[in-house]
Amino acid sequence: MRKIIYALLVMLAGITLVSCQNDDTDFSDIIAQYQVEPASIELDFSALDEAPDVPVTDEDDPAYNDYVENTQWDKVININFGGETPVVTGTVPGVTVQADGDHITVVNMSGPVKFVVSGQTANGSLKFYGDKRFQILLNGAKITNPHGAAINNQGSKTLYIVMADGTKNQLKDGADYDMVDEEDQKAALFSEGQIVFSGKGRLDVFAEGRGAIRSDDYIRIRPGVNLYIESHALDGLRANDGITIDGGVINVLTDGEGAKGVRSGGVMTVDGGRLISISIGDTRESTTDEGLADTTACAALYCDTLVTVNAGTLKFKATGDGGKGLNAKHNVVITGGSFQAVATGTSKLKKAKGVKIDGDFSISGGYFYTYSRLSDPLEVSGTLQVASGYKTYDKGIRVITISY
Amino acid sequence: MARSKRKQLTTLLLTLLCATLFPTLSHADDAGLVATIEASHKFSKKLSAGLEAEFRSRNDFRTADRVSIGGDVSYKVLPWLKASAGYVLLIDNNREEIKYQKDGVSFNNWRPSYWGLRHRFNLALTASYKIRRVEVSLRERWQYTYRPSKMIDNFDFDEGLWEDHEVKGKGKNVLRSRLQVEWDIPKCKFDPFASVEFHTTRELEKTRFLVGVNHSLKKKHNFKLYYRGQVSGSSDEPNIHMLGLGYAYKF
Repeated sequence: MRKIIYALLVMLAGITLVSCQNDDTDFSDIIAQYQVEPASIELDFSALDEAPDVPVTDEDDPAYNDYVENTQWDKVININFGGETPVVTGTVPGVTVQADGDHITVVNMSGPVKFVVSGQTANGSLKFYGDKRFQILLNGAKITNPHGAAINNQGSKTLYIVMADGTKNQLKDGADYDMVDEEDQKAALFSEGQIVFSGKGRLDVFAEGRGAIRSDDYIRIRPGVNLYIESHALDGLRANDGITIDGGVINVLTDGEGAKGVRSGGVMTVDGGRLISISIGDTRESTTDEGLADTTACAALYCDTLVTVNAGTLKFKATGDGGKGLNAKHNVVITGGSFQAVATGTSKLKKAKGVKIDGDFSISGGYFYTYSRLSDPLEVSGTLQVASGYKTYDKGIRVITISY
Repeated sequence: MARSKRKQLTTLLLTLLCATLFPTLSHADDAGLVATIEASHKFSKKLSAGLEAEFRSRNDFRTADRVSIGGDVSYKVLPWLKASAGYVLLIDNNREEIKYQKDGVSFNNWRPSYWGLRHRFNLALTASYKIRRVEVSLRERWQYTYRPSKMIDNFDFDEGLWEDHEVKGKGKNVLRSRLQVEWDIPKCKFDPFASVEFHTTRELEKTRFLVGVNHSLKKKHNFKLYYRGQVSGSSDEPNIHMLGLGYAYKF
């Protein structure tokens, strides 16, 4: 009898042992695709080895006037902050410089004038009137305006911002702006006309009240520039008529609700440099004039029209609710360079996506990477064209990688 | 002659059972084991009590499905009528649950299999009638099973995230009606038996067909070997073929 019982127990133990297998569907591969960690995107201030910046010399070239070297700058005015009152040296006929404390107003009716700005003020600003292109050479300047823009150009011509080699410069606005009737003042560094950045110094722009850098025309950034933009209110770097990046090291950090790290109302072209934009704000909820509820999501890069990347390194990261790495309202064309966009935020009010393109997307060169933690990494409303000859084209659930 | 009749009756019984069972079970169904160990004691002619442990497997014997332990008390109200009450603690390996999107193809949610407790109480009345050596019994059992709430992981394919999911506590009443035929074959060490049982809530949930043999040793030890076919009334649960092994000790 015992033998029977033992045999029965051994049999039961054996059956129990072979019953240890799990009968769940094997989703491990699929889940692993969902749980993949994104590429690391952090601000990077390290120097960039760039090709020499050769100015356009053909006067018929539309970009000719974007090169500060193509203008004679014999008329120079020096402005130095730091004393009880700013020290202004140099006079130019047709140019008036008025100071109210450290708040300086310049009216330029002359022609191209170079303003060399240095020194530090905790309550000052530079404001320019006049439809003549001019240059601001930042030579170790640190300007904070608690009540508005640190630099405000009301003229519609080119503002050349040149950072003197090896200098560190800083512009900062305040939380509240004192507005002037019929004058815009949209950022810590604001210009009605185009802004061209050049020089091998560094400029840090901090925004507390409105945007950090904004042009109602276009913005061009040339090789050698080192820009750090930090906005706690509105957009970081914004231009109504387009942004061209020829080179330089540009780091942008924004945390305002609905704010965009880089926003271009016109064509955005990248031919070099390294642009890293990190947006950590959430979607902004507001009410329209008609009383309707409205939401605006953040984006590390937002562009209303064509985005073209031919060279350079672009890294975008959005971590807030509904935040997008790239939100393009039109077409995106990548022919070279390296493009990375990561969205790690939640999708409560808006969907957080690595890349969202309302138009067509075509890629024929370079490297493209997009990641979304909680949704499709790439949304293209138009046609998606991936030219043949790619080395990799990995379409994961959360990551898409294309490289040539 | 008597032996010939017995054979005919056994054959008829098995044929009827198989004829009822096999059209409803297909090769796509599951298979598993149900093994029980039981100990019981008769306190008097009318009163007895028992303890039982059970193990079940599924997925063609490869996956543990349930472990349970319970006890019951029986009282013979009349010579042909027995009343019983019992409690069973069930430890279930609940099957995974996959929910799909509206397109019916894309995944929506996945709740992996998980182990959970249930408490089962039952009351039963069993009427028996013996025709010569064949005993026919009808058991009506009401059972109430309570599943306490439990937090488990749930993978949301929309979000691509593991989420906490609460399986809410709930109780369930089931009426189980079993008709059983047992045959005490003289001078034979093996006694065949067969039964059919219906599990009914508001509708028929499942039907169990059982056919097997009992083997007793010195009246104290009883071994049982049987086949149990279970036809599910819902598409969520597969039909299952089970091999049953049982050992009961009476003291």
